[in-house]
Amino acid sequence: MNTDLHDLLVPYALDALDPHERSKFESHLDQCDVCSVELNGFSLTAVRMAEATEEEPPSALRVAVLERVATTAQERPVVTAIAQHGALRRSMPRIAVAASVLVATAGLGGFLLERDRAEDLQTQTEQISTILTAEDSALLAAPATTGGELRIMHSPSHGDAVVMGSDLEPLTDGKIYQVWAMYGDEPQSAGLLPSSSSMVLATGVGDADAFAVTIEPAGGSQAPTTEPIVDTRS
Amino acid sequence: MEQGTAARRLEVVGDDTPVADASALLVRTARGDESAFAELFDCLSPAVFGLARRVIRDPARAEEVAQEVFLQVWQTAARFDPDRGSAKSWVLTLAHRRAVDAVRHDQAATNRDNAYDWAPDVDHDTVLETVTVKMEHEQVRRCLGSLTDLQRESIMMAYYNGHTYAEVATLLDANPATVKTRMRDGLVRLRDCLGVEAS
Repeated sequence: MNTDLHDLLVPYALDALDPHERSKFESHLDQCDVCSVELNGFSLTAVRMAEATEEEPPSALRVAVLERVATTAQERPVVTAIAQHGALRRSMPRIAVAASVLVATAGLGGFLLERDRAEDLQTQTEQISTILTAEDSALLAAPATTGGELRIMHSPSHGDAVVMGSDLEPLTDGKIYQVWAMYGDEPQSAGLLPSSSSMVLATGVGDADAFAVTIEPAGGSQAPTTEPIVDTRS
Repeated sequence: MEQGTAARRLEVVGDDTPVADASALLVRTARGDESAFAELFDCLSPAVFGLARRVIRDPARAEEVAQEVFLQVWQTAARFDPDRGSAKSWVLTLAHRRAVDAVRHDQAATNRDNAYDWAPDVDHDTVLETVTVKMEHEQVRRCLGSLTDLQRESIMMAYYNGHTYAEVATLLDANPATVKTRMRDGLVRLRDCLGVEAS
């Protein structure tokens, strides 16, 4: 079936596409400047329909929401919104599948770049873009024994990897997740994941045989001090 | 407090939902301000709950989804860009997507189409009963009423009942291409009737 993608714009604005068509249209939207203007008008129209359904919620809702919020961490303010980054945005259609797996829940706009704080963000963003779009980049997902998983986009030819936690168990007491690139049995620190779904750019790991994660004191350790909770070889 | 000033200024304009205020609250929420979030909840919860209730119908499930929506708003507030639209639009767009996903997920198990009871006129009335009589709601009703039957049914079944356009086509025994065309014609008309201007 050769559906004209542009025909999906109105159903998309009404959330009337199945998941497959929805993602197909979203890839199209990325390349279509005209679409976003038109979509904006339709989305605002849909919002007006939404507003016409106002109904006072039960008072228990407020209590429940505020209670949960008090114990729920926020995404840290985004250092850079990769979705708005020109180079990556243009390459999105090619990497849409891989990237959507990598950031399934976070969304591209939510990427947090933790490594070296904001230092040389531009370069980092470009490196990440390069890895995600590399011909030989492969996605690896490994479950953590404590819950959640580690997702790694690894490009051997570039020697770099993008490593991201996904729903890892939140840590307390100043502990963090530390990523290790394994060379045989020799671990080498590949970066820190301060929160349960943060992301790190690991450079110079082209020859790594595997990746592992341990829980370490804040700031990280020279060598692992605990048993790995993720080992991509197991 | 600058917030107080903003609220006073909006009072002068009218007692309608203070849109600018909600955006300021959402920006403060992104910085971890729980009291701003509580105010934002008070401001937007009738719209979010009403929408969830409309799409999902079951009040308990709608409450659950509304709760998830606000939790998501809290968690991802940093992604909101006040230059690209109002907080209310941002939250309601997110809420609608979530409500539709919930209703489809639930129905994968229960197959709602067997118990399909959508009757345009009855439904339309139900919406209006629950609506506080406000100018803007009147306008939405009036504008929906100006569409052809097929345009209005296609749009309402999709937006208010969470059906895909393909499902709408099946339910109306119409060609999917026709339904898409009617949806587009109807939404264009609705947009123009409501005086929506793309920003």
